[in-house]
Amino acid sequence: MYDLDRLIRILRENLNLQLQGYRYHAGRVSWGEINGIADLPLSVEDYVEPGLYRLKEGYRFRHSSVSPKVFLLPSEQVFLYESEDYARVKAPDTSEMRQTALFGIKPCDRRAIEVLDNIIGSKNPVYASRRKSIAAIIVEECLEPNNNCFCGAVGSGPSIEGGFDVAYARLDEKRVFFKYGSELGRDILVKLDLKPAGEREVNEYREKIESTRELTSRAFSRVMREVQENLLSKARDKDLWLKVSEDCVGCGNCNFVCPTCFCLEFEYSINEQNMGVKTAQWTGCLLYTYGQVAGGHFRPELYTRYRHFVLHKFVFYPKQIGLIGCVGCGRCITWCPMGIDLRGSVNSVAQGGVNAGK
Amino acid sequence: MQVSDSLRILRSRKAIVVRVVDEAPAVKTFTLRIEGEHDIKPGQFNMIYYWGIGEAPISLANLPVRSGGSTIIEHTVRSTGIVTNTIIEKARTGSILGVRGPYGKGWPLDKHENMNIVIVAGGIGLAPLRPVIKYIEKNRGKYRDIYILYGARTPTDMLYKYELDNYFKIPGVKVMLSSDVRVEGWSHYVGFVTDLVKNIEVKPEETVSYVCGPEVMMRVAVRRLLEKGFRKENIYLSLERRMRCGIGLCGTCQFGHYFVCKDGPVFPYSEVEDYLWIEGV
Repeated sequence: MYDLDRLIRILRENLNLQLQGYRYHAGRVSWGEINGIADLPLSVEDYVEPGLYRLKEGYRFRHSSVSPKVFLLPSEQVFLYESEDYARVKAPDTSEMRQTALFGIKPCDRRAIEVLDNIIGSKNPVYASRRKSIAAIIVEECLEPNNNCFCGAVGSGPSIEGGFDVAYARLDEKRVFFKYGSELGRDILVKLDLKPAGEREVNEYREKIESTRELTSRAFSRVMREVQENLLSKARDKDLWLKVSEDCVGCGNCNFVCPTCFCLEFEYSINEQNMGVKTAQWTGCLLYTYGQVAGGHFRPELYTRYRHFVLHKFVFYPKQIGLIGCVGCGRCITWCPMGIDLRGSVNSVAQGGVNAGK
Repeated sequence: MQVSDSLRILRSRKAIVVRVVDEAPAVKTFTLRIEGEHDIKPGQFNMIYYWGIGEAPISLANLPVRSGGSTIIEHTVRSTGIVTNTIIEKARTGSILGVRGPYGKGWPLDKHENMNIVIVAGGIGLAPLRPVIKYIEKNRGKYRDIYILYGARTPTDMLYKYELDNYFKIPGVKVMLSSDVRVEGWSHYVGFVTDLVKNIEVKPEETVSYVCGPEVMMRVAVRRLLEKGFRKENIYLSLERRMRCGIGLCGTCQFGHYFVCKDGPVFPYSEVEDYLWIEGV
């Protein structure tokens, strides 16, 4: 634990970075600035089931309802101020955006950022400026999944192979296993001056990673390619999708907790300085207004919106950016008020309607 | 650097309304003058902004004209929601509107030189096809036989009534009009515009079709054109979805794996055939 404390200090003091990550405060884990080891969720563990989230004592924190999305693509974004004659234009001042290290994000979170980079990249100015501010990525690998985790099934975890500077895993409550993924990461670890891991620790790490991989790879009853083919070929089976989505209430929780859902609704207003303000807010494909236009509605039925959520993650994202859009974090399962299990939905459809439903 | 991103990506340009034409009930065409260049092509669209109220995606409705240091463009707007209602109610000659664009992929007119073109338009769907007609008229030698099939619910709902007669006079252009509803004095076809597809006389393998109208009408048009022997890749549709950004960042215009705003709005049928027949995909 002392090593994590020193890692935080090096990032903050030597590299002059602000740290953003999962922050433990007042009995809950939210997203925020990490100022010291006391801010890390080191002594809590999430217990989840479909539709259930509890934080209890432990040391294996996996997920909270937030993800790096809340930093990179906040729920409310101000784009632009324009005067009525368009002569004066002002963008929000981002010059004070500090250089940032993401601290303690999970391998699935890192994959989610890769997905967002590819689907949004520089198109959204708010995302672009926040993404550019990230100077270091510190990943925590999970050595034990929660009940809703399935990173292994979509290949986003539990180990991380690239796209990070430093990764660490907690072998137990005390011992932390570090690895580096970049020159910067190596420099940081040199500064940390760690005790080299022995063969025993390396083997212990590998065994736990493999058991986690095994546990999180069981989500789907078919290989991914087959799942994808079946999902697309069953897209027009209305009865099947009605059945699969029968418990859905269209609340959009899944969209909001999903680390790769990025859809935005634009909002327009006039502020006290008489400037027209263009802003955006999160929206989601499960909400009624998704697909609604002034003259009609392209997705009035809920099953079409639930189907879009599933097809987008597993079929459309791969066509759009070459990556599965689901990172297997299980947040949509945990925070579904009806406990709808995405894994079950996918399997029901991929198996061609057998046992359709949850 | 970061500040300029927002300006570059989402800034609207000032456009002055120089003319307003009443087209049909709740439909008006706005002629706009924009300082400098605005290189928009037939089939592309702009986000038209009523300041402080909102933006709506509106297709180009006439070829842009360079005039002095400005560009003159036209947009035909139908009052359907808050933004378009406001534009229709409030914008008049001298008003300022914001214009962001051009966005999307238009009709591939360059690719289709030396071919026959069959235009099928329903209702306000003629608006994005009007610059195609104007382009063909200006470049008549580049294209072979042209059909314009245009229908609306009633003759009153038709756009550009003041110039429809001129279309008949363009050499080598056959115009067929239809009204869904029988109306006294209407001398053209009564029924759906898609019925007229059977009357065209072209070699389908040398012909492309540009279709725009309500989605149900476009689906029927596709069926009729396929029956006529048209190739899937020679049928082009201009699709509509909920669009907010125009550049693929807001995600709300998704249609299957396409972002209609940037991958379309004009698609060859061959690219969308998997999705067009699935409700709400």
